[in-house]
Amino acid sequence: MAGPAQENQVQPQDYPQLASITEIETGFESHGYIASRKIATAVFLAFQLRKPVLVEGPPGVGKTELAKTTAALLDAPLIRLQCYEGLDEAKALYEWKYGKQLLYTQVLKEKLGDLLHGAKGLAESVARLHQFGDIFYSEDFLEPRPLLKAMQQEKGAILLIDEVDKSDYEFESLLLEILSDYQISIPEIGTIKARTSPMVFLTSNNTREISDALKRRCLHLYIPFPSVELEERIVRSRVPDVDARLRHQLVEFVHSMRQLDLKKLPAISETIDWARSLLLLHAEHLEEELVRSTLNVLLKFEDDIEAAEAELRRLLHSSATAASGSN
Amino acid sequence: MHAQLVSFIQVLRANEVRVSPAETLDAVDVAATLGYADRVLLRDALAMTLAKTPEEEAVFLRCFDRFFSQELADFASAQEIATTRDPTAPPPAGNGDPAAPRYSPAEILQAAAADLPALQALLESPLLRGLMDNDRNALSLAMRQAGEQVGLRGIEMFTQKGQFTRRILDALGEGHLRAAIVDLEQAGSTALPALQRYRDLLREQVRDYVEREYLLHAEGRNRQFMDDILSRTRLNNIEQVYLHKVQELIRRMARKLASRHSRRRRRLRRGQLDMARTLRRGIAHDAILFHTYWRQVRREKPQILAVCDVSGSVAAYAKFLLLFLYSLQDVLPRVRSFAFSSHLGEVSQYFEDYPVAQAIEEVNWKFGGATDYGNSLQDFAKLALDDINSNTTVIILGDARNNHGEPRLDIMQGIYRRARQVIWLNPESRRSWGTGDSEMLRYQSACHFSAECNNLKQLERIVDQLLKSTR
Repeated sequence: MAGPAQENQVQPQDYPQLASITEIETGFESHGYIASRKIATAVFLAFQLRKPVLVEGPPGVGKTELAKTTAALLDAPLIRLQCYEGLDEAKALYEWKYGKQLLYTQVLKEKLGDLLHGAKGLAESVARLHQFGDIFYSEDFLEPRPLLKAMQQEKGAILLIDEVDKSDYEFESLLLEILSDYQISIPEIGTIKARTSPMVFLTSNNTREISDALKRRCLHLYIPFPSVELEERIVRSRVPDVDARLRHQLVEFVHSMRQLDLKKLPAISETIDWARSLLLLHAEHLEEELVRSTLNVLLKFEDDIEAAEAELRRLLHSSATAASGSN
Repeated sequence: MHAQLVSFIQVLRANEVRVSPAETLDAVDVAATLGYADRVLLRDALAMTLAKTPEEEAVFLRCFDRFFSQELADFASAQEIATTRDPTAPPPAGNGDPAAPRYSPAEILQAAAADLPALQALLESPLLRGLMDNDRNALSLAMRQAGEQVGLRGIEMFTQKGQFTRRILDALGEGHLRAAIVDLEQAGSTALPALQRYRDLLREQVRDYVEREYLLHAEGRNRQFMDDILSRTRLNNIEQVYLHKVQELIRRMARKLASRHSRRRRRLRRGQLDMARTLRRGIAHDAILFHTYWRQVRREKPQILAVCDVSGSVAAYAKFLLLFLYSLQDVLPRVRSFAFSSHLGEVSQYFEDYPVAQAIEEVNWKFGGATDYGNSLQDFAKLALDDINSNTTVIILGDARNNHGEPRLDIMQGIYRRARQVIWLNPESRRSWGTGDSEMLRYQSACHFSAECNNLKQLERIVDQLLKSTR
């Protein structure tokens, strides 16, 4: 919900790059990220409504890249939190600088005599001590971790919480406060509000169900494998030197490959890698021998490579006809 | 327009897309930000806010199209038909103007109304006015309001369709139209077919409208109803045709149970501060506690061994139980599955390698036959007894009917002593335990927990309990 704008908050007009959906599309394109209309809409809404985006989809379709590109587009710092099993608040939110705190107590011990000089009785000593603020637990001794750091950025930031499905169930609950109110509660200090609410992207590979509470706070963006046309545009923007005919053919080939039963389907990143390798090998069109020898760029499992090799001729044929048919 | 959005969300809820009030507010915000002009854009944006899984998104898209693409009812065909019919029907001598060859139905009615004050009043009414001018907007709106008024949204069964159609017609004021037709009939007026035609058209459109609303609102609700019934029916009574539905139910149930339980097994790795140790280590640093020590919480992961009877006597249940095992193994780590009738073998591998239908078939084929619990327990002990420890839960699914063979209770007791929990789920009702060749009462003594389990609700409850205790 877009609440009343607070002081110091970034206003929509501060970022003309995000003023409209078309604006976002062209902005992303200039940074080499070809966004479908759906993706652009998600970014637009995330900015307008100040809601986090939960990005799901098969690996390699550009989920992480989306956050990076947004950061590049807005020229804002990208703060990344890579999730893994066992990630806890000490590594994600904040940690106390224990060493410094201990040194501080040492210093305090030495100064104590001076401070309490002339105090009569225990009660007065304690009263005098209370005049000094409790800085043992204060922001001075706080070591910010990515989430807190994102809250502290003066001009806002892009916060990328990568592979949130890899984290523990408990960690999700930790995120809830940050995602809905952009604030962090630290028991010893109180609540720290974001100076400027960051734009948050969470990515998930769906290795487990994300809790409903978390999903409810996010816009839900599913990035599927792109259409032939979109993927061609992506390859063109990433590997501009590849000849148009070859590009069309290789994208068609990858698409027909995604129809096979493979452990890991080749994603966009693999298509781009493959296009680059074909370019290095000075390929002009797809030949069976060439494809066979570069198959390991597209497929990451030995089983998959074997399965694809058996189907190679058929795949090549079908992609060749598809390519010539649409030309 | 917000009201429309809210009622759309109600449709989504009926179709099992869970939408919270907070999300409803978000949806309103989204619609306000984007406007209602670009339909595709609005649809995609709302999908992002309201649908949380790809499956839900598919449901969302279907509902969106059905809900927002309702065309306006069309009453145009009345005009043509009435005019073409007019000259063919020779006007009998009487009132009206017999010489006029081609009049529009409206004009015919106007002429007839001169003699009938009731008809005159009817023609003035907004209903007939709309019909005669084919004012689609006004009529559709009136129809929708009437639907709202009679509570069409609450439609549940297809048998209610006629009833609602009638109520809406009444609310629209079709009664006057009918009365006028009777009047015209008695007067033998030439205007009769024109008016009848309008009445038929109106009825047709209202019927279509009710049908559309029924599809939108009742279908999802009926499905929930059906799921509920299925989960309470005894498993062996479920008709073959519903099998695929049950399969889906079971899978959903297993996933729900797994997600509710699996994650909590892991505790935060860092436990409480170990004060004694921290102080002790601090002595070296002039009692300054440089290093902190934490009590580690270590938990062994529980293991589940599931044993399923697939003999002829429980064949109807076995299919479901195997299905459940399959789903459970799919969603929980460390589940080993076994099947037996006269001998026993591990089937985990089948479940991993084959799709569900084929796996069940393979298992039935390989292990089906006459029951011999004694022999099977012996096989089980040989295969798995060494793995059973205080973290192991053993679930046995079977009717304990041993064909009067040796029950080998000693093996059961061995398992009972070693395992953390032994659970026996019996499809027979508790009353028939111990009757005939049932060894249930004896086996029961070597179980931590035994229960009757013959429908999905019971199964869910028991497994839920089970997972709670294995945590």
